[in-house]
Amino acid sequence: MYLGEGKNMVIDLEETADSNLDAGIARWENFPASYMSHHGTACCEIAREWITGMDYSQLNAGHPLTGPRWLRKLFKWGPSKWPMHWCQAVREETLDCGALGALSHQLFLARGVRSFAAQFILEFNDVSTRHWGESWGAAGCDPHWISNGLIYHEGSAVAVEGNEVKLWDATATWWINPKQFGGYAGLLAVRLFDPTADASTVFTWGEHRIPANTWHKVARAKADFASKKPAPKPRAKRRTRTTKKVAESAVAA
Amino acid sequence: MKVYISGLYSGTSPQPGIGLSRSLRIAYPDATLVGVEYSNRSSGIHWQGFDDLWLQRPWEELDLAAYGELITELLDGGALWISGTDLEALWLASVFPDGHANLLSPPAVGLSRITKPGVEAHKGLPLQIPPFVSTDESDWDLHAFCRKHDWRVWLKGPYYEAVRTKSWEQFEAVRTALSKVWSTQRLFLQAHVSGYEESVMLAAYKGELLGCVSMRKRDLTEEGKTWAGDVQEVPEEFATKLREIIRDVNWTGGAELEMVRAPDGQRWLLEWNPRFPAWVHGATITGCNLPAMLVEAATGIPAEKTTGSGEEFTRVVLEVPVRSRYPLAPLPEPYGGGIGHSMKHPSGMPALAERLHKLHPHLMTANAGAENGTNGNGSHANGYAKVPDSFVHDLKQQDYAKMETPSFLFLDTTAADLFERASTLARNLSTPETQIVNGYSIKTNPDERLIKLALDSGFYAEAISLLEVQKALQIGFKPEQVILNGPGKWWPEGLMPKERMHAVFCDSIADLKRVIAAADRGELKSKVFGVRLRTPSIKSRFGIPVETPDDFAALIDAIALLPRDSSFGVHFHMASSHIGVGQWWHLYGAMLRWCRSLEKLAGRQIEVLDIGGGWFPDDWHEGREDDFTKAVQQARATLPNVRQIISEPGKAMAQPSMALAMRVLEIQDISDDTTEAVVDGSIAELPQYFFYPHRILRRNGETGELEPLRRGKTRLMGRLCMEHDEVAANVELPEGTQPGDVLIFCDAGGYDRSMSYVFGRG
Repeated sequence: MYLGEGKNMVIDLEETADSNLDAGIARWENFPASYMSHHGTACCEIAREWITGMDYSQLNAGHPLTGPRWLRKLFKWGPSKWPMHWCQAVREETLDCGALGALSHQLFLARGVRSFAAQFILEFNDVSTRHWGESWGAAGCDPHWISNGLIYHEGSAVAVEGNEVKLWDATATWWINPKQFGGYAGLLAVRLFDPTADASTVFTWGEHRIPANTWHKVARAKADFASKKPAPKPRAKRRTRTTKKVAESAVAA
Repeated sequence: MKVYISGLYSGTSPQPGIGLSRSLRIAYPDATLVGVEYSNRSSGIHWQGFDDLWLQRPWEELDLAAYGELITELLDGGALWISGTDLEALWLASVFPDGHANLLSPPAVGLSRITKPGVEAHKGLPLQIPPFVSTDESDWDLHAFCRKHDWRVWLKGPYYEAVRTKSWEQFEAVRTALSKVWSTQRLFLQAHVSGYEESVMLAAYKGELLGCVSMRKRDLTEEGKTWAGDVQEVPEEFATKLREIIRDVNWTGGAELEMVRAPDGQRWLLEWNPRFPAWVHGATITGCNLPAMLVEAATGIPAEKTTGSGEEFTRVVLEVPVRSRYPLAPLPEPYGGGIGHSMKHPSGMPALAERLHKLHPHLMTANAGAENGTNGNGSHANGYAKVPDSFVHDLKQQDYAKMETPSFLFLDTTAADLFERASTLARNLSTPETQIVNGYSIKTNPDERLIKLALDSGFYAEAISLLEVQKALQIGFKPEQVILNGPGKWWPEGLMPKERMHAVFCDSIADLKRVIAAADRGELKSKVFGVRLRTPSIKSRFGIPVETPDDFAALIDAIALLPRDSSFGVHFHMASSHIGVGQWWHLYGAMLRWCRSLEKLAGRQIEVLDIGGGWFPDDWHEGREDDFTKAVQQARATLPNVRQIISEPGKAMAQPSMALAMRVLEIQDISDDTTEAVVDGSIAELPQYFFYPHRILRRNGETGELEPLRRGKTRLMGRLCMEHDEVAANVELPEGTQPGDVLIFCDAGGYDRSMSYVFGRG
């Protein structure tokens, strides 16, 4: 809380054209959240039991809401082939954001945390998206997740209390900041999947209210909290000091 | 307007002086800003934003009285002073106990309410203080605190420095170093809180909160200092309470409340610093110029508006020209054979701390008296550890006159009581469906008296070699009461019992295949065949790993090969004294999950669970019934087929059962308060000295009374000509102790006894 006099803010954010975002949402509207397939045999059952067991062990008595960062020590980020089965995923050296997001979602669930698959649309610069497009192409994977400076990304959302959520970026291994200013790596839109939700289900993420199962544009924060001030408290009047004598500086020894 | 600003150090753990000058320059472009520093090695003296520099001699040289008078003249003359260091603020509070209108630094009453680690002033804020304990407590209790908090603890000085201490040996070394640097034994241990660091910075004048702002660290230096952050509003409910507190303590100046936000959202207060933080200008560039508000309140001179740009800030490294007339000082010479130039504390802060201790001890006392400053272990104040009555009773029965020292003493009623309690606990926890039974780890102490007690108390004998099996059989155990474990359990050849044992646990897949082959040939018979699991995420050389999916799959395949006419069991063991009590219980939960997976995937029911161990006696015996009851319930819920749980308390049984007597050979005063004594015991008899403290008693040669040793400044040196032969440090010998007196080291019946070795005896 800022209790001082009013201060002006000059914010000059280059905003991504809304039309780009609309196009991105349209492009990824029918993308399902990634999930691990199961062969229905022991191979996948062993893999699933192994990774959930490792996750619980890796918690080391930490809080169940601790993000499973250890996954990224195990897997590099890179192109993945889909569909992906549990038994394949645990033996891969690299996983894409969909696989990492799907795994983290399952790990949270196994810990007893309410978790939801999450999809994101992020903004990046051209050199980044071009680089990714080439590396995905070289691996024989379709860079369908890149479009006009935007990327499609996946993670998971965990409920901390009621429908208040935190968004876990399993690839970057951090909790996404609810205060979004746009720009490089800025989150522009989010979709949270809750198969049990009805039309009225809304998640709270910071100041945002996110309806379940539909793309939601993330409102940009105004970097102006310092200019939002309550009425200043009346201050006891002090004698003016403008004419007070100011001492000369002493000379350093 | 003239403002004196101190705290110009601008290295990797910077002070706020530069930031203060930058913020005030925005608000008061025409003010004369004077940088105050106590070393020409502080790079901040070269910051061109200062109109003048007031370079004092280091604190160890300064005439504090004269310096105080000089500052008084400045303040009386109208200059303002903003202190940028904690210790200078403390000293100024002693010079101006009631403050001074132009001293923008907190008065003594305010400082007394924010002393670490209790930070009395925080009450009412939605904050908790992480558990802590003063190092005035006995070493025994400090070790208990470390175990309780999983060795995730920080040893902190009363003003500066915090060092993570992961082991007892490290703790002792850091305690010695910090005590020496800061001239005080009054350090404290504080539990680590995992989470994200954030701060609240405030400015106040004469008890009025002028403004406050919140900052979350978004990038850190290797030392954990802020490198980037985002600045936000302080929630109204927090600010309202803070305003009351500031009024209550009549705060003047800047301050920073350093906190950690845990994953569950709880905020933990680490400290309340009596000055602006080094990131102060980070807030200013977002539009919150708190130093300007402070000066405006003090002078009544309106500040120029501060224009904000964004809500996030970061730091960069800048090169600046060296100020003329203040050429760089040469690097100090490395010590002979040393590495680096040893340049910490160029302004002599430790010297100021030492002087303040002598001048104003009331200001320098760490606040360790808050309600959560206990270790939860029945701690005794004044550095004495509680010694059980049964120890004293047993030790008084010994004939010390004829005793050759060093000598291990068996505490018979203590040992009998421990085994009886363990047996009773197991009986109480047992149900018709699941039997709870104890196992005695022979290696922990193969003393026949203890093994016999284990037999008489219904324990199984846990052996790691066939020699140990034979010893158990000689003492009266039947083969069906023996559990065989460990990587070298087949050694030496030819001693395998012909009869059926109770359980054999395999330490590797190769071991498991060997067991299967031996069982097929009829050479090995056991009621239970099982596997020992290696603890994932906690380093261990024992057991079958599950670190990779392939390891896990191989284990599942191998389990399927175990004889079907025997029961299947799982064993895991990790010393709780090493990883801490909380982490051990988490490991227990994790292992049950692995067991459930094994049961499901291998198609074998787990009927026997063997769990250990390495329990520190106090963690196993004292008030843990509820924990064990829950553990049994958890096991039953996770593994419904479990019929027997074997608990191996390890050193919890053996360690308290013996003590080591030694005699004082020589006592030498090293200085006024430091003593060294040589004893006829040594680390050859007390090899666990490096891992945990021992409770020590001195037997009064005249009265026969046993007097506990408290913390002090005596080192007890062993008889060996080995540099590291020191059996106790930081103890105080009772008045009248003389050569020939017997010292009794309790808690020596575990690995001290079993791993003691013959050395220096010709």
